[in-house]
Amino acid sequence: MTDPTATHAPSAADRLELGVEDLHVPEPSADAEGLLLKLGLILPILGVVLILAAYWTSSGSKYVADQIPMLISGGILGLGLAVIGVGLFLRFSLARLLRFWLARMVVEQQAQTDRVVDALARIEAKLEK
Amino acid sequence: MTEPTAPLLELRNVHAAYGRIEVLHGIDLVVPRGQVVALLGPNGAGKTTTLLVATGQHPASQGCVHVGGRHVNGVKPDELARLGLCTIPEGRGVFRSLTVRENLVMASYRGLPADQIIESAVARFPRLGERIGQVAGTLSGGEQQMLAMARGLATDPGLLIIDELSMGLAPLIVAELYEIVAGIATEGVSILVVEQFARTVLGVADHAVIMQHGHVVAAGPPADLEAELSAAYLGAST
Repeated sequence: MTDPTATHAPSAADRLELGVEDLHVPEPSADAEGLLLKLGLILPILGVVLILAAYWTSSGSKYVADQIPMLISGGILGLGLAVIGVGLFLRFSLARLLRFWLARMVVEQQAQTDRVVDALARIEAKLEK
Repeated sequence: MTEPTAPLLELRNVHAAYGRIEVLHGIDLVVPRGQVVALLGPNGAGKTTTLLVATGQHPASQGCVHVGGRHVNGVKPDELARLGLCTIPEGRGVFRSLTVRENLVMASYRGLPADQIIESAVARFPRLGERIGQVAGTLSGGEQQMLAMARGLATDPGLLIIDELSMGLAPLIVAELYEIVAGIATEGVSILVVEQFARTVLGVADHAVIMQHGHVVAAGPPADLEAELSAAYLGAST
């Protein structure tokens, strides 16, 4: 007779389902990394354009009182965008480079191991003769 | 939200691309609980990409991947693996420079003690017990595949996904491995087998899906797919 107090251990499939229920599923993003890398290229260009525009407009004015707001709004904003853009570009291009480097290391290590294993097999075969 | 009686794995209208080249054009695939599903098709059909999308290793550009009825697009593959979605990749994925024992210990990431993992692996694959201290790279192809399966099963997976089990193996070894797969299925583990050489896997599959050029061209019980199989592999019209 079945013990009514007995509890059945959940199967692996049950555990998978329960685990998935508790997962944090991220919002879909269309290649966020690629997008941020592109932003890293665009922002510095925009920053330099703003700095040049600030210089051009402020150099056309004789009055320091007029020049300061132009320099602040154009120059500092431009500089800020350029710095952020360069940071993004470095972050994501370096990440890509390091990923590629790591993958290359793994492949080379695997090839090296294969060569060692082949050499050992050849030595073993010769010893058996 | 989890749907009641939902399949363990479901792909709905999944599209995927490498760069700008789309290789999956709307794949629908269902792996019900406790069943073996064979995903078949010639080289370049998109089988491995389907598997990569299902396991979170490649993003779907459109469509949904559901595990246990829950949408899991964007979930990292290691999170799914930790929950019990186990993949045995094409080429086996054993650590060739480590011993059989060390390879098995690698499966302890789900918290099982190493001794227990080794014990259950050896009980299932006695040949691995004879080779426990041997470097995995020096095992035969069939033994490496057994090691990969033992390592996967040691994690007590809810869903086992096997890519190209027969690759590079003699037909007798393949038959032996598929007998083991059939045995695993009787224990209630859901299995998705991606396979290029169809005949052997159809003997153990409950359901088969045939892919060609990134599309599902036929799906159903293996016995009903003979004509479609020939068409997919030989290019004949049905």
